[in-house]
Amino acid sequence: MKLRIKVDPDLCIGAASCVTISPETFQLNDENKAVVFDHSQEPNGRTYERWIEVNDDEKENILLAAQSCPTLAIFIFDEEGKQLFPEI
Amino acid sequence: MRLLRRHDMAWLLAMTIFTMHYVIIGGGISGTTAAEELRKLDSSSEITLVCEELHPIYSRVLLPHYIKSKIPRERVFLKKEIWYSEQNIDWMPGVLAVHLDPKNKFVTLSNGREIEYDKLLIATGGEPRLLFENQNNVSYLRSLSDADHFLELINSRDANCRGDVFGGGFIACEYINLFSHFNIPTRVSIRGEYFWSRSLERKVGEFINQHLEKKGVELKTKSFFSIEPNSIVGVGTGIESDFSWLKSAGLEVNTGIVANEFLETNILDVYTAGDVCEFYDVIVGHHLNVGNWMNAIVQGRVAAQNMTGKKTVFELVSSYATNLLGLEIIFIGDVLKESSDEVRLIGSVEDGGITQLFGRKGQLVGAVLLNRNSNRQLITDLIKNRQTIDKMAKT
Repeated sequence: MKLRIKVDPDLCIGAASCVTISPETFQLNDENKAVVFDHSQEPNGRTYERWIEVNDDEKENILLAAQSCPTLAIFIFDEEGKQLFPEI
Repeated sequence: MRLLRRHDMAWLLAMTIFTMHYVIIGGGISGTTAAEELRKLDSSSEITLVCEELHPIYSRVLLPHYIKSKIPRERVFLKKEIWYSEQNIDWMPGVLAVHLDPKNKFVTLSNGREIEYDKLLIATGGEPRLLFENQNNVSYLRSLSDADHFLELINSRDANCRGDVFGGGFIACEYINLFSHFNIPTRVSIRGEYFWSRSLERKVGEFINQHLEKKGVELKTKSFFSIEPNSIVGVGTGIESDFSWLKSAGLEVNTGIVANEFLETNILDVYTAGDVCEFYDVIVGHHLNVGNWMNAIVQGRVAAQNMTGKKTVFELVSSYATNLLGLEIIFIGDVLKESSDEVRLIGSVEDGGITQLFGRKGQLVGAVLLNRNSNRQLITDLIKNRQTIDKMAKT
């Protein structure tokens, strides 16, 4: 399945809890903001938003990383565009 | 499917035979994370979550965003009220624990109720050190009520109002940023000569002083705190916890509640996590008390795993970051000068950034980064892998 993962850099404070839980998906840039990786890779360069293909375990871990963010700066959407986190 | 090992089977058997009653004192991020993890690991157990606050869990870190109107008030909440019943968690808001009887395994609450436990987690966090009680223009930034009160002060201020910040730590940084956001002239009073005097070398502390002065903040060092008319006072002089009810039960308390690497206290079946926990850090080899979000969330999870019998060592290089009027400040790992035997500096004021490294018996154990974000991951990895301070100093 595919997920769209988006970080709002205006909300992100660089707490890095997402990096601790899912380092293959989140890393910090030089502005101390989380950027989105695709399985530890950055195809097409550094970005705050990316579609990635994941399995069930990876999806659960990415959701856990998003839930751990103290400023709820990470948004996760499924293929139909439904926002999985934060729950609306 | 992999074959179950013997200890897995024993654990599963224990889970199915007994209905465990887990009691968590403290509904902040550490206690709530523990409750969530316990429910994942043990679907049939009883879980009681005792919370001093009346609100569902919210993010304290989001309070400045709410005050600045970056987000609406309802966005600070991390869970809805219904979440607790959906998870079959007995949520008890507005209640404190006042007595622990470890022999008969029950806790007495402020409403007079006594609740028995099989496993108990203490995750009560800290309260801000109070100065000038009952003064309406004095603000603390610990709770959602504090944020609401601060906004009231901001919205009712007159044109000549000044912001007075007392303290030299992360909360003081938040107040400085908030007063700047509302274009309120700011004065900062600190007891020492610079921020974080227990961690920073003089040169590093003076870097911050110079930065504040460049940004137009009036800085008073070696100062006493006093309230002046027509000011909004923001207090950030640290947190403290009431351990009296735990000490009288025989719990070992030092700076925080003393725990081993499994977050077990000296009393059987009593665990601790979050800001109150003084845990044995397997990376740096001594006890640490760390009050940050990352630490609280991971400890909540690890404590829950240990409470269910899944022995898990707490091992984390935690960090905390803030931006003080454009200056990036990051604390990583063990950053107390008194527990390190070596400190080294990389960079300089002239370079625009300094990294202060902390070493213990040659091992890199912590770092403070000012405007040197790009060092963060490298240093975190070096600390985690028990590398020498020499290795970082040479990069």
